[in-house]
Amino acid sequence: MLDQIVAQIPTFFTHFTLTFLLEAMGRTLAMTVLGCGVGIALGTLIAVIRYTKTRLLAPLRVVLTVLVEVFRRIPFLVNLFIVMFALQGFGSEVSLFTIATISICIVATAFLSEVIRAGLESVPRQQIEAAEVMNLGFARTLFFVLLPQSWKVILPPAFAFMVMFIKDTSLASQMGVVELTFTGKVLMNRGFSPFLVYGAVLAAYFILSYPLSRLGAYLENRLASPRSRKTLKRVRSATGSPRHHTLG
Amino acid sequence: MTYTLQYADVLRQLPYLATGAVLTLEIAFVSFWLGCLIGLAGALGKLHGGALIRRLIGLYVVILTNTPALVQIFFLFYALPDAGITLSPMTAVLIGLTLNSGAYLIDILRSGISSVRTSELETAETLGMSRLQTVRYVILPHVAKTIYAPLCNFFVWLVLGSSIGSIFGVEELTGRAINISSANMRTIETFSVVAAMYVALTFVASITLALTGRYAFRVKARIF
Repeated sequence: MLDQIVAQIPTFFTHFTLTFLLEAMGRTLAMTVLGCGVGIALGTLIAVIRYTKTRLLAPLRVVLTVLVEVFRRIPFLVNLFIVMFALQGFGSEVSLFTIATISICIVATAFLSEVIRAGLESVPRQQIEAAEVMNLGFARTLFFVLLPQSWKVILPPAFAFMVMFIKDTSLASQMGVVELTFTGKVLMNRGFSPFLVYGAVLAAYFILSYPLSRLGAYLENRLASPRSRKTLKRVRSATGSPRHHTLG
Repeated sequence: MTYTLQYADVLRQLPYLATGAVLTLEIAFVSFWLGCLIGLAGALGKLHGGALIRRLIGLYVVILTNTPALVQIFFLFYALPDAGITLSPMTAVLIGLTLNSGAYLIDILRSGISSVRTSELETAETLGMSRLQTVRYVILPHVAKTIYAPLCNFFVWLVLGSSIGSIFGVEELTGRAINISSANMRTIETFSVVAAMYVALTFVASITLALTGRYAFRVKARIF
């Protein structure tokens, strides 16, 4: 078996397969980046709305809380199927790549909004009271008091979730999006040894996600003051952050 | 194009889906506890082992947590037969999920074990506690308090993650949903019902775990 693999190595690592893998890597990355971008934007919006206290927004807060809770509790695969059939069932012509990206956006919004909300809530109440005393409005409290103090707590778990989204995109291969995992299937059907193919695919995922998780760990050590270290721990356990290392 | 939602076909299949949900829970349960064994061994090795062991465990964690579980199971399922080991879909999924969750649990358990401070152990010694008493009254409450919430979250995550099994033909909740939807062609209805089942399942699990934690370990685990 081993000599069979060794014999295949020169035919496997050709220009063609490498560009094929690189393109797929790009597509995986594009899905994740788009998803995270939308997730951060919408997630911040949702977190801020859920953070407000006015009675006017109470129904919206309830709706958003339910939506976030529900989408955090649906497997990504089922989410993909629902988005796909919902879009196709109502007769729109969208590419599979768009469908997968929309799914990632939904999931990222749900998870990241929870991280951002926990981060906002980690700011001590006295800070907000002080802002109130100084007659700052909601927007100024948000931008000058809440966000500058909470982003240190938000970033490390957010990076952990980004790594999770990179890995989640592999499920999009099930619908036929030509990303890394699907490329693996194609190459295997071309007769390459699964050892080589999936080894290469695993390595490609590793190359994508390892720098991100290192960056998350670095930021965690770098940013965290003793106080935010404690709150970070709380944020992690509250949001179910997928990575726990270096802390504790 | 208009589309009318018809739930009757799906709702008739609820018992069939419910047995799938049981299998989902079983997969999550088995891989969780086997993963805990790996996690415990790994965490102890990482804290007390030699340099080589620590390196190897670190490598295991880094590789398994930075690659998708799906591709890991693909690797087990397609590559191992070349080496003469043929796995049934179910075993491949179970082994894959166990190895994957083991890597995460090493991190979780390690942070729990190292949360016990040496000063506390010294205090216990000064108070004249026996080794067993130290474990019972000092170490365990501490570890339980630190790891309970992450463990609960992880279990819920694993319940959702077990849906990967459907790709390999394991008939758990998602797998059965695919079966049903390809028979009755009511895909949106089927998958929305299944999504609701997953939400209910994980919600019940979260509440039960949070309440258990509150009474058994005095952990204030959040449900929402």
